[in-house]
Amino acid sequence: MEDIHIEGVHEAYFTPTVNFEVATGKCEISGESYLEETTKFYSRLFEWIKAYTSTIKGPLVFDFKLSYFNTSSSKCLVDILDMLKSYKNNGGDVTVNWYYDDSDEELEEVDDFILETGLQINKIPMEF
Amino acid sequence: MEKVNDKYDFSLYEYHNLLHQNILVSYKGPIDERIMTVIGDNIEIVTNDSTDKARSKIFKIFMELAQNVWLYSAESCTTLSGRRLGMGTLVIGEFGDSYTFVTGNVVRNTDIEPVIEKCEIINSLDRDSLREYRREQRRLAKDGKNKNSGNIGLIQVALTAESPLDIELTPVSDEESFFSIAVKIKKSNSK
Repeated sequence: MEDIHIEGVHEAYFTPTVNFEVATGKCEISGESYLEETTKFYSRLFEWIKAYTSTIKGPLVFDFKLSYFNTSSSKCLVDILDMLKSYKNNGGDVTVNWYYDDSDEELEEVDDFILETGLQINKIPMEF
Repeated sequence: MEKVNDKYDFSLYEYHNLLHQNILVSYKGPIDERIMTVIGDNIEIVTNDSTDKARSKIFKIFMELAQNVWLYSAESCTTLSGRRLGMGTLVIGEFGDSYTFVTGNVVRNTDIEPVIEKCEIINSLDRDSLREYRREQRRLAKDGKNKNSGNIGLIQVALTAESPLDIELTPVSDEESFFSIAVKIKKSNSK
């Protein structure tokens, strides 16, 4: 399995920075997410998680540090969280940290992800 | 409009005056990601006397509503490279302690009814129920049951604005109407 390293870009579209490491199970998605083909971009991440959780089966520590994501992206983010929840249900070691811009609305969004997926997520406020 | 002189049928001065009061940004035309970048930058410049939070809200709302015009407007044009771009109108005004953000576009009468219903549902819900509605709609969209995912954008807009969706539908022909959505964002948003 290969790591994923995507450099975030802010142009007409916004690509998030993505770093997924096979050796440590440390995964980070940060920056901004507004893509021309959202599902196509995130499919690559879904495939990595599927492969990792079925072959490597190690711990996963996910750090989300997104300052902006549109509604299309939020659907894919929930997909990732669902996959992590599945892995956890099957005995996988999963830690999810969600860094949010300290405001009521942002906090609500993370709480909604928790309610939607049933996944335990550590909520960490930060200045973006 | 009156003819100001014999040379032109259009008085730019009158048009300017119409827009000058309270309007910070106005745009009428096709929308794609490049146009959104320019308008987005413009918005950032004209709102620089408000809080970061208010500007962030306006940006989020702009991204969703502008994209809806691009994707769903019944009035469109085609670029030289064959891309279809929805066309519409976008205005940001400043009234007292709030910004008003409006987008409008032509819609087919046969298509707009479900959108109106969604807006009415959104406007009828309190905040907790609106969040639940978003969770539910997002679930449906992911399971392939929600055809028009522009609707999650509308829920997001209402939640971000913390104000109702002020919608207006004006018939322009037997088949089409002009549909607009306006929201208010307080300038002094601190949280």
